[in-house]
Amino acid sequence: MKVNLKYKLLLLLSMVVIVHSCVPDVDPPVTQPLFYQPEGFPATSGQLANNPVTYYGFSLGKKLFYDPILSLDSTISCGSCHQQFAAFAHLDHKLSHGINDLEGTRNAPPLFNLAWHSNFFWDGGSNHIEVQPIAPITNPVEMDESVANVIFKLKRSSYYPAMFKKAFGSDSITTQAMTRALAQFMSSLISANSKYDKVKAGSATFTVDEQNGYMLFKSKCESCHKEPLMTDLSYRNNGLDLHFAADPGRARITLQPSDSGKFKVPSLRNIAVSYPYMHDGRLNSLSKVIDHYRSGVIQSSTIDPLLSGGNMSITDAEKQQLILFLNTLTDPTFLNDKRFSEK
Amino acid sequence: MKNKLYSLFMIAFVAIAVSSCNDDETTPSTNNGPTTYNSGDVELNFENIAGSVFLDPTGATNYVNASGETFSVTNFRYYISNVKLIKEDGSKYEVPNSYFLINANDTNSLLAELTDIPGGKYTGVEYMIGVDSARNVSGAQTGALDPANGMFWSWSSGYIFMKLEGQSSASSNNSFVYHIGGYSGVNRGQRTVSLDFTPSVVIVDGGKREAEIHITTDVLEIFKNPNNISIATQSTIMSVGAASSNIATNYADMFSFDHIHNDPL
Repeated sequence: MKVNLKYKLLLLLSMVVIVHSCVPDVDPPVTQPLFYQPEGFPATSGQLANNPVTYYGFSLGKKLFYDPILSLDSTISCGSCHQQFAAFAHLDHKLSHGINDLEGTRNAPPLFNLAWHSNFFWDGGSNHIEVQPIAPITNPVEMDESVANVIFKLKRSSYYPAMFKKAFGSDSITTQAMTRALAQFMSSLISANSKYDKVKAGSATFTVDEQNGYMLFKSKCESCHKEPLMTDLSYRNNGLDLHFAADPGRARITLQPSDSGKFKVPSLRNIAVSYPYMHDGRLNSLSKVIDHYRSGVIQSSTIDPLLSGGNMSITDAEKQQLILFLNTLTDPTFLNDKRFSEK
Repeated sequence: MKNKLYSLFMIAFVAIAVSSCNDDETTPSTNNGPTTYNSGDVELNFENIAGSVFLDPTGATNYVNASGETFSVTNFRYYISNVKLIKEDGSKYEVPNSYFLINANDTNSLLAELTDIPGGKYTGVEYMIGVDSARNVSGAQTGALDPANGMFWSWSSGYIFMKLEGQSSASSNNSFVYHIGGYSGVNRGQRTVSLDFTPSVVIVDGGKREAEIHITTDVLEIFKNPNNISIATQSTIMSVGAASSNIATNYADMFSFDHIHNDPL
């Protein structure tokens, strides 16, 4: 009797295993949390409060992120202009690309640590990570598609309804569910494991040159590129132009002339792998960026007070040290994390 | 005899006429306790007009604005939100989650259904044209506020509160586009509308009475009172600023209470 029961249990267990292994979906990995608060990071924006990251929500978001179905002619996905090896920027492309080879007006920014941002885009025009994707989807020079039509295409797909049901408990596909899934994926793109982070955590040390570069960074750059996000998330005019008719930047959103020529301070994390630089991608190397601050700062009515004194004095040797330090902000773990990869 | 019949007929007729005037009043209850009413639904019925005629939103009919410009309408949509019904004693009942997108080209959208309204007598309604600030900053919304409805600016987040588009020979490209929004700041586009029904009274008594409030929306008011808007001067407004604020001030009084249906079922 006892043996019989044991046998039955074993049989039952093996059946469960067999049935389970027939389910094609991979179970949530339990090793690394998809979303977490890195040591020393400030509080998040709170925009995930109603949308906690789950494995299935993240997976749906990732599927959507890499799916050209979001564009009018199914040629462009989010991943087209946001490549993982470039920290989800568009490597070596000055301006964003759209369908039919159309060109946008701004440089596609890298994507990481977005849960610490309250506003998005170079001009901060988008006020929530959930509504941000609507802009590239509907922009005529990006994906040029309507949200309603994207929803229509997702609904008629053979697999999306099941993915939405797994992620949100309902197979009714809505704008909110779609953008929340994208928000979960994008928020999970956390970069906090660079050499700089390891030095901060005491598990690595800077070389002498990197350390000197770090001290220079602290005195010349950190007031805007604030640690540990390496941006203070503010909007500033860093002296690129005298006139701003071509792109008024933050003033496009606030309609305040005092905001003309101001753009969001970009994070310096992964900066070495996400060129070109500036809102319009005009500078294609870190060397040229530092040269801009050494000799190219243009004084205008809205120049940032921290640059109103003129060019920074940085020697050639200091410039090299600064570049060596900036290289320590590259996060290979993040750039190669298979969880974020298309395939 | 004939005269007597005639008198009886007259009395009956008068009685019916008087009683039909009393539709808005409750029949006195047989006991002496306070009359109670069941909670029920109230329908706001929006009728889009251009001056004295119904609005044709297909672009086939010409109207003349306050600046003397001829125009037609191909698209007219607006948000109604934060609806409050005003009780007889002046207190207000705030209808929770009340967001409606009225679209002249979609007859189903012209009826805004307010459900589970406490029973009783109401003498007016208040609502916002547009969407409150909170819903503009809280991520992707659903229902009437679904960004897929085409009333959301994604490049500078926020709802478009009112869209009026059409053709006009006054414009250099023969068309005009007014998209009005702005949820904060001095040029915000929200406006509050307050409509008084008196002497009419709407009785909400679920299952016993219908409660339908008819409101007209006059597209001509968008061009006047107090700001004269000329299509020739400005045929495109698609961002928040002084120009959009001027139109918002105009549309604040484009609504009028027309009549109610409140017959016993």
